[in-house]
Parts: sequence; structure tokens; C-alpha cells
Amino acid sequence: MTAQNQTPVEDRLRAIQSITDAALSRLDDHELLAELLDRTREALQADTAAVLLIDSSFGQLIATAAAGLEEEVRQGVRIPVGQGFAGRIAAERRPVILDHVDHSTVLNPILWTKGIRSMMGVPMVAGGQVVGVLHVGSLTARRFTSHDIDLLQLAADRAAAAVQSITTQADRVAAEALQRSLVPSALPAVRGAEMAARYIPGSGVVGGDWYDVFTLPSGELCVVMGDVAGSGLPAAVIMGRMRSALRAYALETKDPAEVLARLDRKMLHFEPNALATVLYAVIDPALDRMHVASAGHFPPVLAVPGRAAELANVPAGMLVGVLPGARRPVSTVKIPPGALLCFFTDGLVERPGEVIDDGLARLCRVIAAELPDVVCSAVMGALIGSEPARDDVALLVMRRQPQAADPRD
Amino acid sequence: MTDAGLPVEMIGGVPVVTTPEEVDITNADGLRAALAQAAGHGAGTLVVDMSRTQFCDTAGLHSLVAAHKRAQAEGGQVLLVMGGAAVVRIFAITGLDGVIPHFASLEQALTQASSARPDAEA
Repeated sequence: MTAQNQTPVEDRLRAIQSITDAALSRLDDHELLAELLDRTREALQADTAAVLLIDSSFGQLIATAAAGLEEEVRQGVRIPVGQGFAGRIAAERRPVILDHVDHSTVLNPILWTKGIRSMMGVPMVAGGQVVGVLHVGSLTARRFTSHDIDLLQLAADRAAAAVQSITTQADRVAAEALQRSLVPSALPAVRGAEMAARYIPGSGVVGGDWYDVFTLPSGELCVVMGDVAGSGLPAAVIMGRMRSALRAYALETKDPAEVLARLDRKMLHFEPNALATVLYAVIDPALDRMHVASAGHFPPVLAVPGRAAELANVPAGMLVGVLPGARRPVSTVKIPPGALLCFFTDGLVERPGEVIDDGLARLCRVIAAELPDVVCSAVMGALIGSEPARDDVALLVMRRQPQAADPRD
Repeated sequence: MTDAGLPVEMIGGVPVVTTPEEVDITNADGLRAALAQAAGHGAGTLVVDMSRTQFCDTAGLHSLVAAHKRAQAEGGQVLLVMGGAAVVRIFAITGLDGVIPHFASLEQALTQASSARPDAEA
């Protein structure tokens, strides 16, 4: 046995080096995980090594990478967090050693039919969260020591960092693709209306902000501004569902409060953990009046030519996802010729260390009833500037075309 | 502070979670964890002391609403000590000021919490 011929200290150093080897960092994250499992198995002289990752939406661990235990991955093994060997490690966030593997200690039959006699596993923690479990097994009876645990934890820390990098990157790519597909690629052409929009994702993560503009068969122009709490892929997915549902309800009724009530009922039932703000406005075909209801969202800014811009008078209404049966008031806002409406999400006006009213006042100061594209640029310049936005920002500006001075022209 | 989140204090048998100056996407998960832990301590009712808090975004509201729903399902309540002007404003805009009971001071919230406890009525 090689291990007995070397001094334990030398042996341990070599093992640690093989796991923290700089060569590993040059691999891409998927290869790193495979290589790390091979080296872990070798360093601990174990027969099997496997990584199970947490799927938080199902509360399950999913076998993701394995060495000497490939069938675990191929068969898509899933273990509920809290149950069995790996499930316990994830739930209790501490190492577990099994000197005796059978159906009473291990949930996954592959492990005992494979002939594994002893096992040891540790939690993989990244960013303060358990992201998975790394375990090794021995086909011969063996007592894993606290030194073995330390070494395995070292490998798990390395694996956790790699996994976080894989999932963050994959999630970001997916969320960005989803977000791009959901924000209108072109604003609808509506006679008498001019529109411009901006959307920028928050620094590092894509959030759940969205806007939508569409017309109804009867000629109304509808504007939606929403913000789903949360970020990344989960928020983007919920946003997509809300956007589709709202469009469907918009075809059923013109009452904006009723559309929000139906959306709320749908969300409370199918996505009970979601929370969102939504502003929904239905503008008459003549573009002279807007009927609007708010679910916890900021009112739009209204700029009438010759007057200072101000927040439109839209009473507060309950967020989506809180209270079954909540009713929201509908207000009607007059839109004189040449007037401009600016719809936005909170990322534009919320700054830590300042009252929101300061941000809202700054927004009103830069808005005038001018060309929407010019207004968008002025708003982004004044409120975002060159600093990366901490939260998503969505902005939609619509102007009712000024009437020609002489109607006979 | 570690990933364990914010501390949960027991005052007169009522779990109290004190929120930091700013609650946003960077610490909302910590708040969520602390609220879940607090819910496990008391008889379903807990106090969130936001008196030091000057900023709370949608992520923070999300954690509070989740705690409120859980408390309601368990027959308890989330009682809030209201934060600074910006927090008052966000609660008004979102309609949450009409859903989550809120108080001007910790003492008032604690008094309400003790009177709401079933054992206190006996």
C-alpha cells in the first residue's frame, strides 16, 4: 500500500496539492468538476466520487458528475434534501461519515448494489448557500478520518466555486435571452403617438423588469410596466408568464383594475411565492385619455406642454401576489395634445441613502413634452449617468403628437 | 455577519428581527432566513423592527410578504415597527401598509404581540 510507505504529512501535502493545483484553474468549469472528482478519488484512495447539486425549486439533489459511479448521473438520480445520506448533508450543512452502507442509511439503491461499504460526504457551500454535496465511497470497509474529511472539504470548496460559476453563467445567458425575447423588439406604430423605450439590466444580474406596449382590436393602446421581485432566471421566467397572462386578460376586458385582479388571482394560485409591481394603462383610440390602475407601481410622469412635469394622479393599489381579492382603483388621466407620459420602474429613481421623492423630483425636472427619444436620453443621462445601475431600469415614453396650429394644414 | 443572516432576539417571548439600514437584493435572503428562523421560535407571531431602516427595495418587501403569508397560515402575525420616510413611502405605494400591521415603536409592537398571544388571553 503506497499510503503506508510515505509519511502521513508528505502524503497529505501531495494530496492537497493535487486538488489545489494551478493546472485545474485552466480547465473550463465542466472539465474542472470531472478532473476534481478524479483527483479527489485518487487523493483519498476512494473507489467512487460524486457531486450532487441542489435544484432549489424542487428541493432535490441531482447527481451531476461522478467518477466510478457514472450510472448515478446517467440515471438522473434525485434525492430529496433532508433525506438519505446526501440529503442529510445538504440539510444539516455538515459532513457525514457512514461506516455501513445499506438501505437504512442510504436512499439511492445504486450505492449499495454497487457494493459500496463506507462513505463520507461534505456540503458544497458557495456564497453562503449550500449548492450541493460531494461524496466519496469505498468498496472495502474503511474508517474515514477527520483528516479525510478536511481533504474532502477542500475539494468540495473548489467544486462549489466551479459550480457556482457554471450556474451563474448559464442562468445569466438564459435570463438575458429570455429578457430580450420578452421586451418588444419594435414599438407598435400608432397614428398620432410617438414612442421610445430603454431597458438596461442591473449590474451583474438580470432582474425581472419588463414593459409591454400593444393595441387592442378596438383600437386602444395599452402600456404595461412591471417589476418582478428577485433576479436572474427565476425572475425572468415569472416575468414571461405575467406578460403573457396580462396580454390574454387585456383581450377579455378593458377595465385595467379587472385585468390586474385576474392577473393577481392567476399569480396567487400558480406562483404563490411571486411578488410583483405592475402598472397597466389603457389609452383611448383618440389618445386623449388614459385609464390606469397600479399594483404597487409608481405612477407615470405626465408632462403637458407649458407646464412642469409631475407624477400623474394614480392612487396606490396593492402589489400582485399578496392579498386574494384585492381591488385597485382606476383613475382617468387626460392627455392633451402634445402631452407626454413617462412610464418607468423603480431602478430609475431608487437610490440608497435618499428618499424616493428626491429621485422622483429629479425625474420630473428632466422631463418635458418633447420628442420621446430625446426625453429618454435626457432621463437616462440625468438619472443613470455613467454609473452601472444597481437594479434593472425600464423606461417607456409616449407622446401624443402636438396638433398642427391650423387644422386645415 | 455570516450567512446565518440577521440575529433573532427574543424579547418577552416574542421573536424580534431588526433590519439593517438598507434592505435590498444583497441582503434580502439574509432577512428571509432570519424571519424563517424567528417564525420557528414564537407562537407564529413575530416583530420586524425596521426603525433603523432608511431604504427597502422590492427584494426586501418580498422577504417581508413571504413572512407575513407564512405567519397568517400559521395563525400568527408579522408586526412591523415602521422605518424611515423612504420605507413609509414604499409601503404606501405598494399598498402593504394596509396589509401588514405597523407601529411607531418597538414597545407598541411588542404590546400588540403579547396581547395577540392566545396564552396571554387566558
